[in-house]
Amino acid sequence: MNLGNLDSLTFFYPELILLGGILLVVISDISLKGLRDRVNPLLTLAALLLALFYTLQTDHGSAMTLFEGMLALDNFALFFKAFMLVAGVLVLLGSLHSEELAAVHQGEFHALLLAVTLGMLLMANSAHLVMLYLSLELVSLTSYIMVGYLRSDRLSNEASMKYILFGAVSTGAMLYGFSLLYGMTGSLDLFAIRDALLAQEVVGFNQVTLMLVVVLTTAGFGFKTAAVPFHFWCPDVYTGAPTPVTAFLSVAPKAAGFAILVRFFLGGLSQPAGEQWGFISGIDWPLVLIVVSVLTMSLGNIAALTQNNLKRMLAYSSIAHAGYILMGAVLLTGTGLKAMLVYLFVYLFMNLGAFFVVTVIFNSEKTFELQDYNGMFRRSPFLAVAMSIFLLSLIGIPPFAGFLGKLYIFGAVIDQGLYWFAVVGALNAAVAAFYYMRIMKHMILENDDRPPTPLQISPLNRALLVLLLVPNILLIVFWSPIDRWTANSITLFGGL
Amino acid sequence: MTLQFANVLVFLGVGALFIFVNLLIASLIRPSKYSEEKLIPYECGENPVGSPWIKFNIRFYVFALIFIIFDVEVAFLLPWAVVFKELGWIAFIEGLIFIAILVVGLAYVWAKGDLQWVRPEERYE
Repeated sequence: MNLGNLDSLTFFYPELILLGGILLVVISDISLKGLRDRVNPLLTLAALLLALFYTLQTDHGSAMTLFEGMLALDNFALFFKAFMLVAGVLVLLGSLHSEELAAVHQGEFHALLLAVTLGMLLMANSAHLVMLYLSLELVSLTSYIMVGYLRSDRLSNEASMKYILFGAVSTGAMLYGFSLLYGMTGSLDLFAIRDALLAQEVVGFNQVTLMLVVVLTTAGFGFKTAAVPFHFWCPDVYTGAPTPVTAFLSVAPKAAGFAILVRFFLGGLSQPAGEQWGFISGIDWPLVLIVVSVLTMSLGNIAALTQNNLKRMLAYSSIAHAGYILMGAVLLTGTGLKAMLVYLFVYLFMNLGAFFVVTVIFNSEKTFELQDYNGMFRRSPFLAVAMSIFLLSLIGIPPFAGFLGKLYIFGAVIDQGLYWFAVVGALNAAVAAFYYMRIMKHMILENDDRPPTPLQISPLNRALLVLLLVPNILLIVFWSPIDRWTANSITLFGGL
Repeated sequence: MTLQFANVLVFLGVGALFIFVNLLIASLIRPSKYSEEKLIPYECGENPVGSPWIKFNIRFYVFALIFIIFDVEVAFLLPWAVVFKELGWIAFIEGLIFIAILVVGLAYVWAKGDLQWVRPEERYE
């Protein structure tokens, strides 16, 4: 079913709520002089939670498109929309007691957070190349501002500038890829493009051109997901941005990038066949993405080994994780896609958790350097244990949630008989263990001469840390709801 | 098919030639007599004072952005106005919502003191 503009609105409540939230935050920011710092976070939280509620209420099961084929409504989008909104809520809560953001006025920050979430919801849904591009730009433009939010901080400004330049070039490359695709198939609708490619009725059908399309569009998606060789912005931007923003960028827009990557390649450039997809002959995009995936995880992990700045190290670690997540997308199987979703889900909690500990430590210590983490265990055992759990989860050590993600991903890869690919992934996980353990070593084993003064953690931050720890510890026991939910979420809308 | 795109190639080539051939011919036939006046940059007939490489006030940029709000508004309202009679009340309400969103943007700029050339200091955050 292809819904028209007005009929679509009933399925569009989450986005409309976010839009209303943005406007309300801006209005309250300029009209409530004394109250705004209290009202704005509450408004933002209310908008995100209400949007989450309506997202879960909306029926995503029936195959239909909204707004004359611009957006696709399917369980795959439902998963990502819920994911983005949960990430938005967690990042909002994490930013409330952050010293970095406390120094500047936060009214715009909340409006931007809602705007970037709105963009990501649209990204997860888009089934049309124009919609895909516009929502990607909405996310990018707001991220640029959020990265440069600390106006008086030179690093933040530099990060924002680098991000804009890289973003402009890679989205430009992506648009060129889209234009080639449009030139060959005469359509911007993903499913019409696929049908034209399948019927081989493309004008000037040419393997080289199609491969060029794959490479160029990968540049755009690779920029959003920080995959090698489009990752150069990532370490500098993550270091310069305020830590809550870094935490947000490392999870939510990355997931949105994967959502459009899957929708573009599996939905647009593949042949659907039940739970499987076959690639259309002449477009060997899985090969391109396998190379990108191997490069991404290897470079991310190796570069992280020598970092002494926590934010930089976690930046490279998040590049490496993008490589693992990509493994699930190239397999063209339902299990692969499901593994990818499971990995993203656990990655949300472990990565936000690790960045949140960094935020909390910066609040009192004003440092991101690894040697300043020495003796953290004696100063705040809770924080050190929490960080260790997040790091062990990122490594993929069994009792924690990260193991579940790695298990599903490697399982799906071996299932397809790509043993060498699984071996590369496992070797990378072993390399990664070194630098994660290094942080733990500094926090727990190494002590400095200073007397261990207890570290102050605000009650809200403590509560949020517990909230992030719970899924990391319990998911391994209660994994069946996640298993069922992700198994349900791999149904991609495949056209009418 | 390929021949259609050959037109583009030819167009590119002719375009490049058009520039360079004309410049070449001009440099061959023009008299070359330099004087002091000819070497200064043309600035609407005025003699330029100082270097043009100065920092512009960032407020020009802010004003350009505010201008864009109204520019986009017109760009979207023009097609809306053309089909307005056929669409009726729904289009009218949609148009009002669109304008209201832009008004919020204008109100924001106004409240932040960005409509004044010298921004009031107490509002500076």
